[in-house]
Order: sequence, then structure tokens, then C-alpha cells
Amino acid sequence: MIGPISAIMLTLVVGAIITLLTNSTAQARAVAIVSSFIALAISIWMFLTYELNPVTHLAFEEGSANNWISSIGIGYHVGVDGIGLPMVLLATIVCALGTVYSWSESKRSNQFFALVLLMDLTLIGVFVSLDFFMFYVFWELTLLPMFFLIGVWGGPRKDYSAIKFLIYTHIASVIMMLGIFAMYYYNGINTGVYTFDMMTLLHSYPTLPISSFWKNFIFGALMFGFIVKMPSVPFHTWLPDAHVEAPTVGSIILAGVLLKMGGYGLFRVLLPMIPNASPYFIYALALFGLVSIIYSPFAALAQKDIKKLVAFSSIGHMGFISLGVAASVAAGLEGPRILAHTGAMFQMFSHGIITAVLFGSCGVIEHHTHTRIIDDLGGLTKKMPKFAILMVAGFFASLGLPLCSGFVAEFSILGGSFQTLPIFVALAAVTIPFTAGYHLWAVQRTLWGPYNEYLGDIKEIKWYEFATLAIWTILFIVLGIYPQPIFNMMRDTATYFITSGNILPIGGIPI
Amino acid sequence: MTGYTPLLPEGILIGVAALVILVGLFIEKKKILGYFTLIGLLASLGLTISSWNITTAYTGAPFYGAIVVDPFAQIFNMMFLFVGILVCIAALDAYGDHKNQDEFYALMLLAIVGMMTVALSKDLVALFIGFELASISTYAMAGFDKHDPKSIEAAMKYFLIGGLSSSLMVFGMSYLYGLTGSTNIDTIAAVFAENTALIGTPAILLAMVMLIAGFGFKMAFVPFHMWAPDTYEGAPSIVSSLLAAGSKKMGFAAAFRVFIIGLIAMKLDWYIAFVILAVVTMTVGNVLAVVQKSVKRMLAYSSVAHAGYIAIVFAIVAYPYASADATGLAVAGGILHAFSHAIGKAGAFIAVGAVTYMLMSKNAVDGDPNHIDNYDGLGRRAPLTALLMTIMLLSLAGIPPTFGFTSKWYLFLSAIKGGLLWLAIICVLNSALSVYYYAKVIMRMYWGEPKGDAFIEPPMYLFAMTIAVIALIALFFVPDGVYYWADAAAHALLGV
Repeated sequence: MIGPISAIMLTLVVGAIITLLTNSTAQARAVAIVSSFIALAISIWMFLTYELNPVTHLAFEEGSANNWISSIGIGYHVGVDGIGLPMVLLATIVCALGTVYSWSESKRSNQFFALVLLMDLTLIGVFVSLDFFMFYVFWELTLLPMFFLIGVWGGPRKDYSAIKFLIYTHIASVIMMLGIFAMYYYNGINTGVYTFDMMTLLHSYPTLPISSFWKNFIFGALMFGFIVKMPSVPFHTWLPDAHVEAPTVGSIILAGVLLKMGGYGLFRVLLPMIPNASPYFIYALALFGLVSIIYSPFAALAQKDIKKLVAFSSIGHMGFISLGVAASVAAGLEGPRILAHTGAMFQMFSHGIITAVLFGSCGVIEHHTHTRIIDDLGGLTKKMPKFAILMVAGFFASLGLPLCSGFVAEFSILGGSFQTLPIFVALAAVTIPFTAGYHLWAVQRTLWGPYNEYLGDIKEIKWYEFATLAIWTILFIVLGIYPQPIFNMMRDTATYFITSGNILPIGGIPI
Repeated sequence: MTGYTPLLPEGILIGVAALVILVGLFIEKKKILGYFTLIGLLASLGLTISSWNITTAYTGAPFYGAIVVDPFAQIFNMMFLFVGILVCIAALDAYGDHKNQDEFYALMLLAIVGMMTVALSKDLVALFIGFELASISTYAMAGFDKHDPKSIEAAMKYFLIGGLSSSLMVFGMSYLYGLTGSTNIDTIAAVFAENTALIGTPAILLAMVMLIAGFGFKMAFVPFHMWAPDTYEGAPSIVSSLLAAGSKKMGFAAAFRVFIIGLIAMKLDWYIAFVILAVVTMTVGNVLAVVQKSVKRMLAYSSVAHAGYIAIVFAIVAYPYASADATGLAVAGGILHAFSHAIGKAGAFIAVGAVTYMLMSKNAVDGDPNHIDNYDGLGRRAPLTALLMTIMLLSLAGIPPTFGFTSKWYLFLSAIKGGLLWLAIICVLNSALSVYYYAKVIMRMYWGEPKGDAFIEPPMYLFAMTIAVIALIALFFVPDGVYYWADAAAHALLGV
């Protein structure tokens, strides 16, 4: 009997293969929708029946360490906790609705839908792996479907963007790989057991008797891998290019889930290692977050392409995650640290949903008006009133309006971080008007004002676009009003991490 | 005769080669000889696998200790035989109507016997004989398309440079013999271990330089790589596949034996040489591969780059601060990477051959059939070839789920374990750079605009590529067996 995690992965693999073998758009779409919704159903079931094993602090654990390639200690070992399960849920929600959103995709549709399913699979693989080898394999594998999605279905500069995406993030991953190797090796020397098991390595890292050079190298290499994926300024330049050229569902998955791999890595891998790393890393992480938060609204204000604007908004929102992670380990009271930690986790989930609406809206605009240049748009409310409601909701949620999930997340992060990193919070808060500004300005120029007659007679949003955007919108509003189901799950894990001594407050003056 | 029984795989191949030549004189439909060769190779591979963990305790020392059958030799022999099988299957399509195909099969068999002899030999003379047997057979094979000027040029270049490298090698060997009074690698090691006064003398340094140059030509280390791109590009694709996947690994088998066993006492002297060679080789190979317009030439340069990755094994083994278990891991990693590269590169060259074959069959060649423009839209014109080639390129780039990923993982892990962090960083950055040119081919195949109708894909080429791809993927998911072999091979080589 296989567990739910293997069942999800198996469903998606089989679904992708069958999709590839179909020979019409309708068939490919049907298979892809069915298999991605089965995956979604399983993950919802996991969410409802979630119960942690008190010993391992994991749920739905399968496999064990070292059972795959025992000679060098690699195992098929998967499981989730309050960090992983919401991410699995996010990946299945975004990808399942993404397949519906791509209803009319007719260019090489069997390959297209198969790639979306593979994307779903590899992302889930990252979020459930408890073995560094598996984690890294899935981490690398996410590149391939996205590379093909950008390349085959992308815009005019797809060659450049696809290869930039591939090489840039691949370089970050191989550096991360060296960090994993060093951790593996020194743990093996210290304990005599060579294993890539994530829990073992993370538990032993703080007590490894190694020089501070290697300790910092391990930490720095892993951190580099994660922040490039997030991405943090100044390692963000692959992201706007990838987004602009990617097909809409590619952008939705890229911003909605793929970037969260970096954030997930911070929580899963980096946080347990922090007590023993140099405190400068914490401030570096906070600084990376802060720079991203400050940089993003100004870059976004300058954009002419609405999709690129949304891409820059993602960078800022991901910056809040770095800030929250840093704040949750800086010296301070437990309560605020737990709040910052939980808020940062909740930001990952919330931003995944909200950004799906934003990129979905950009896709609708492009699909219906054949342009994404903000200056060429205007007055879309007159032709597409239903769409306008959803797009306004998405942009307002993204700027942090109360009653939307983004507000809950960012409020928690800023509130929780204030005690430990007050100056950072103050500087981050200063940018909030600018963030609100570019969102409102973009909406104003796109939806309101006089209708641009050059666009011709455009049609109202299609039902499948409306349905998917509406479901995401309802989701982020519900989570904005009643975030407890997910928020509490995350808070339990955060509390466990912070109070069980897995994270020790690092020294240093709160700055 | 018990000591000679483990040499049955080689015996079979020699017998088949002789029969193929003889029978070829009398029959008209020579394609049957290709199948006969294939059966011989399969039988040989089966025997090799069944006796992979054979030890000298059982085999004795055939040919007065010149030949030793141990797991190290056997894993290299498996590699050569596997590549031989792939090439033989592809040749059934490539030379199915050729009137001299019997000679091709016989030469190929003899070349493989030569490579196997190198892997088996523990004596400089036997090693040299194997080297020459493999080289001379492949000289003729490189010029097999004798009406194609490029093929002739490739053969000529290969022959001249190969002859030079052989003479350098013999020169180095003669010094070793003069210094130690023996051609046996173990005896040489023992003499150097006893007479430490010999270490660092000009004579031994000269011998080492000559040997590095001689083997370096075969392994295509920069700056001894000049012949490789021209030969790999000009030679028939399936011959390039044998050269890059087989002949080059023969160079590594020889260098492992001679340097890591015979000259281990001098490791501080060759450490620097191999570090520099490794770094320069991988960097130059990758950078030059990026700018190539011919896919075949790009594969040739990527083959140079891979030689650089494998060369870090020498650096790790010789690194004075490396821990003892890092040495074993490095050799095992090197063998695994050689294995994965052999399968991936053989398959990739066969894929290039398939594309040329398809273009030729349509008379659609204008200019160079290997030019990247011919790969535009191959994903639609020849979907299976494109898919299989993509997987092989991903394996060469070291992207999962392929054996190329695990072998790189193993190899770079050993660099970290050996304490050579900076070398590992150079390796992974090079590896990341290499993704660029592999991805470029994949991009052309999948989102270039096709320049013509669909091809009829040649079945035997497809069969050979499918075997290679299945091996690459299967060895990713179930690698324990081959890890175990590589580990045993490393232990057999290092004698620990």
C-alpha cells in the first residue's frame, strides 16, 4: 500500500505519460485536468487528515533513509509537516487550476499539458523530499519542464530567456550541491555514518567539529542556492525575462510555486542550521530581503509591460519572506519570533495564490487585446466588467489590502520582526506607499480611463479564465478573513522549531 | 591452461574477427556478418559480466604476469563491449549495403580487443601492444568513408598524431625500464618505493612527461587535443562514437594503471601536472564547445571537457592531504563517470550519425550535414531520434534523471571529500557552462522551424540509441549494482 505522497507523484507521472500519448487537444486537456485534480483531491485529503507524528514531527512519512542507493547513503524518504504540506497544497491548487486556465491551448497541446503535470510533480517532489539527493534531483528537475514551457510556447525572446533561466538557476544549484557534499562528508567523518538523509545532516550540522571556514561555506552555499531561486536582488535578473517570455500558465506556476522553492529551502534546510552559522548570515539574509522590498516597487513603477510589473512585484513579496526568516532567528522574545516565522510561511502560500491571479489577469489581457503594454491599454472595464472585478481584487490583494491573505502575511511579518529587527521593518514599511502606488497606478491605466479604440472590439473574459481566477480570488479572500486552518498549522510547526531548541536565538544586538 | 580461461571474452572476439574476414571473402550478402559480430560481442559481454569479480587467486597470472583479470579490467571491458554493441547495431544501418562491411566489423572487433588488452595489462609491453592494436584498427576505421575527403583527412590526422603519441609513450616506457629494470607495473612501483633516491631525478621526470603526453593524446587532454575535434568530426559518426567512448577510455584505463599504481611514489610530482591539465582541459573544452556550429564538433569538444572532469581523479589521488577513503571514492567516481560518458557520448554520436543518414537518404544535404541548422525542428521531423538525443545530451550535461547526473554527483563528491574545494567549484561551474551548448541543440530540435517533411527514422540507429537511453535512465534509478562494481574496481586497482 503506497502512501498519499507517492500516490500523488504516481498519478502525475502516469497522467503526464498518457497526456503525451494523446493526439487531440480535447483528450490531452481531459487527461491533464483529471490527473491534476486527482492530485489536488489527495492533497486536500492530506490537509484534512493531517496529524503529526509526535516523535519525528512529520506526517505521511514514507520510505526511510539509505534505502535507495545504500552504498553512499541515499534513500527514498518523503514526508510533510507544517512547512511542506501547505506547499504541496499550493502546488496542486495552482497547477490544477492552471490546466483549466489553459483550456484553449492548441499548440502541441499534448506536450504542453504533459509539461504542466511534470512541473506539478517536480515541485511537489521538492516539497516532500527528506533526502538531500532526492531534494536536489527534484530541484534540478523543475528546470526542465519550465525550460521547455518557456522555449516552445514563449514570446519573441524565448531563446534568450529560456537559456538564461536554465543556466542562471543551474549555477546556483550546483553551488548548493557543493554545500550539501561538504555537509555529507563532514557528518560522515564525525559520526562514521555517510548519509544524505536530510534530518540526520541538519541535526548534526550544529555540532560538527569543523573549521569555521567549512561551516560558513556550507551555510553560504546553501543560502546562495535558495536566494537565487527566490530570487533576491541582486540575483533576480533571470526572473523578469523568464516571466515576460513564458506562456501565462508558465508564469503562474513560476511565480506561484517555483519561487517558493527558495523560501521553502530557507525554512526546511537553512533555519535548523542557523544557530551555528555566523550571525552575519542572518543580517545578510535580512538585508537581501530588505533590498528586494525596497527595490521592487521602484523597478515596477518604471515598467511599461504589465507582466514585467507583476514580475517585479513578486521580487518584493519574496523579500518579506527573507526578512521574516531572519527576524525569527534573531535574538528576541519567542512570541514575536514565532509570529514572524509563521507570517513568512503564510506569505509563501498567500503570495502563490495572489500572484496566480495577477499573472492570470496579465494573460487574459494579452489574450484578448494582444498587447501587454500599459500605455496601449485603458478603459477595459467598459468591455470586460467581469474581468475587471477579478483583476482589481488581485491587485488590491497584492498591495496588502486588509481582508486579503497578503495583509495577514505581511502584517505578521512586519509585526513579528519589529522587536528583533526594528530598523529593517521601518525601512520596509516606508516602501508600502510605493507598493500601493504602482499597483493602483497600473490598475488605473489599464482598466479605467477612456477606452483605447485601437484595441478594437474585444470580448468578455472566457468562462474557464473567469472560473479559475474567481476560485483563486475567493481563496485569498477567505484566507484573509479566516486564515486559521493554514495559519495554525504553520504556527504549530514554527512553535516547534523555535521552542524545541532547533533554532537558538543568535547573539548580537538587535539592529 | 586454467589461467587463460578468463581471457575467453577476448578469444571469442578474435575468433569472430578472423571468421568475419574469411567468410566475407566468399559471400555476397555481408549484412549477416554484422549480426554474427553482434552475437560475438554479446557473448563476450555476457562472459565478462558473469566473471566481473574474478580475482587473481583464481586466474593465476597469464602471460607471465603481463595480463591480470580483475574487477578494474572487467568494468572497463564491459564499457568497451557495451559501446561496441551500440556501434555494431548502428553499423547494421550505416553500412548495411556497404561492399566492404566485413572489414569494418573485423576492424571494430580488433579495436575492442586492443582496448580490452590495455585494461587487462599490468605490464608496459602488453599495454603498448593493446594500445597499438586499438590505434591501428581505428586509424583504418576513421578513414572508412574513403570517398569523403573529410574522412580521409580525419584518418590522416589521427594516424600522424597517434603515431607521434605512441612513440612518445614508448620513449617514456623505455626510461622506466632503464631505471627499474622491469616492465611490470607492480615491480616498477616496488622499485620506486624502495629507492626513494630515484624520485625527482631528471630521468624519471622526463619519463613522466613523455607518458603524460602519450596518454594525454589518447585521452584528449588540452593541449594534446588538437586532433580530436578534426578526427571526431571527419570520421564516420559511428567510428567517432567508438573513438570518443572507447578509445578515450582506454587512455584512462592505461593512465590509471601506470600512474596510480606504477608511479604512485612520484605523486607529488604529477599532482601539479594533472591539476593543471584537468582545469585547462575542462575549461578549454567547454569554452570551445560553446562556439561550435557543427553538432559533431561540439560533441568532440564536450568529450575533451569530460576528459577534464575525469582527470580530477588523478589530482584527488595525488593530493597530499586527501583522506584515504577519498582516493577510493575518486577512482570509483572516475570509472563511473567514464562509464556514463561512454554510454552518453556513444549514443549522442550515433544520433548525429542517424541525422546524417536521414538527411542523406533524402538527398537534402547541402554543405555540412552536421551543421546545427539541420537540427531545426528535428523534434517534429524525427521525434524519436530527437527525444533519445535529448536524454543523452541531458545525461552529458549532468541533469537528472540520468546516469550522467549520478556519476557527476559521485565524482564531485569525491573532490569535496578529498578536500579540493576549489577544484570542485571549477568543475561545477564548468558543468553549468556546458549546459548551455547542450541546451542549445535541444532548443533547436524542439523549437526551431522544421526545414522539410518528416524523416523515416532508421530502425537500427533507433535501436542502438534506445539501448543507450534505457541504460542511462535505468542506471539512475537502480545504480547499486554498478556502484558496487566501480567500488570493487577501485579497490582492485588500489589493492586495498
